[in-house]
Amino acid sequence: MKASQRPGPREPIIKIDRISKTFPIPLWRLKQFLRRPTKPPVQALREVSFDVHTGEIFGLIGRNGAGKTTLTKIIATLVQPTSGTAVVKGFDSVNDDEKVRAQVGLATAEERSFYWRLTVEQNLMFFARLYGLNDRLARRRIIELVEQFELKELVSRRFGELSTGNKQRMAFARAMLAKPPVLLLDEPTRSLDPLAAARMRALINSLAGGDPSVTILLTSHNLSEVEELCSRIAIISRGQIRAVGTSKEIRREHRQSERVMLTIDGISLERAEQSLSSTFDEVEIEEQDQTLVVSFTRETNDERFDKILRTLHDGGGRILSIETERATLLEVLESYEREQEEEG
Amino acid sequence: MIHALTLLLLRVRAFVARDFQLAISYRFEFFLRILTILLVVTTFYFISQIFAESGTQFSQWRDPLAAWITGLAVLNYFMTGFSSLANAIRSEQMQGTLESVLLSPVSVPTVVIASSAWDFVLATFHSSLYFFFGWLFFGVHFRGSFALALLFLVITTLVLACLGILSASFAMVFKRGDPFAILLGTGSALFSGVFFPTQLLGSGFGAVSRVLPTTYGLDGIRRVLIEGQGLSEVRDPLMILFIYLAVLLPFSLWVFARAVRRAKREGSLIQY
Repeated sequence: MKASQRPGPREPIIKIDRISKTFPIPLWRLKQFLRRPTKPPVQALREVSFDVHTGEIFGLIGRNGAGKTTLTKIIATLVQPTSGTAVVKGFDSVNDDEKVRAQVGLATAEERSFYWRLTVEQNLMFFARLYGLNDRLARRRIIELVEQFELKELVSRRFGELSTGNKQRMAFARAMLAKPPVLLLDEPTRSLDPLAAARMRALINSLAGGDPSVTILLTSHNLSEVEELCSRIAIISRGQIRAVGTSKEIRREHRQSERVMLTIDGISLERAEQSLSSTFDEVEIEEQDQTLVVSFTRETNDERFDKILRTLHDGGGRILSIETERATLLEVLESYEREQEEEG
Repeated sequence: MIHALTLLLLRVRAFVARDFQLAISYRFEFFLRILTILLVVTTFYFISQIFAESGTQFSQWRDPLAAWITGLAVLNYFMTGFSSLANAIRSEQMQGTLESVLLSPVSVPTVVIASSAWDFVLATFHSSLYFFFGWLFFGVHFRGSFALALLFLVITTLVLACLGILSASFAMVFKRGDPFAILLGTGSALFSGVFFPTQLLGSGFGAVSRVLPTTYGLDGIRRVLIEGQGLSEVRDPLMILFIYLAVLLPFSLWVFARAVRRAKREGSLIQY
């Protein structure tokens, strides 16, 4: 079942409320006192707010430096916000940081986050113990995870000997050690081959749809992956959330119009031009392999589409196919970036 | 309370097991270190033979090999107490593993303490080797209360661990160029009486010697193990060490908490 189709309880499990983060300049006062030149502080996030619901796969997309990683690190308690709050399962990321960490697993594509001279099993055992699992439970969990993540044959291999894809799987397996209700995934398929990436996506979907379900917040540059996996998406640009919703809602909100292409036969080019151009503006008609392709732009839910169809039908035309082309997520992202640049 | 303690011990064990596994992945280095200690003890044995027939006014130095062995073994331990906490942070930062460790539901102080536990295990082993090789190959014998010597060792190590916490706080905020490490690391060997009696330092350097907690720790241990003194005779250096601990422990913990908060605010906890 696709995430967007998944029903279920929709309580917020992650609440991000007006989070701003400005990275202070280290030793700013001392530098001021010594009259040393200082760069302005970096404002990474500005008044970011959204909720992620239980069992949801929520995508965070944006360009490099947009603020995705900072936000993820704030949720994971590694960085404190300048203002605002991040609450995970009722625990505040600043005041109850240990409790938040017990609820959250983070998998990043950072290869250096493991001990390269230890084996897969030794690495997982160390982190399992940190999560408070006793040895018996930890061993059982590691066996489950190495099977789930196809690492069974590699348990005795040193981490440094693994391929990049397997290292990424290890990061995912580690994040799942304590069966956290919330998973933060930073580009989960970045280093995987297409087949492995598809299996990883299936796994992510099954985790969110499982019992108990895991809530997943993922950041990615792979927009088709985000569209496929995520029930809702937030677009972040220069530290600000520009849009939150399903991919359909975001595209619709962003561009109300869509391009329609009709392939028809049973009507000549002259006849079609005659009947359409007298009534409708900006309709393009082309002849292609003994069929006609009629292209036009319409506003969502207007009557233009219906009227053009009727006109062609009345003229003897037979509709062979209909294609519509809405704004892609990439176009939406690019346009927000352009807007930001124009706003300065 | 018991649950929290069990969890703490489980985590300390996790770090010790990890560091043991890492250490045995470098087997050659492990054996090389043992050989180095044997060579050092042997070297000092032959140096001590130069002074074999000449008497000395310094009672702790009548058997110079015993004094050196004690000095080296104890200094190794003290320096572990001082440097392991900051090193724990620094090495995790440099390896890139600090972030993943800090993502577990373990507090930063627990991470720092637990990740330095292996250093203490190793320091205990290495320090014991100094005594063991001295006894086995060169007939060095100690007398006095080992329990009292252990008390000195523990208190001095705790005092140095407080300085180590200050050093770790410095590493967390400024990353490199730790002044504590420079002052204590080089200063202790010179001014604490590891290789020669502190009385030889004179009034100027003697003042530096009297400020260092390692001086009192080492003096106390030598008085107990070499001169056979009891608790009533070593009360003064013990009291001074307790005063150091009473002042430095709350201060270092306060500074450390501030450093962690600052590093989290700056987002520089995992940078080095």
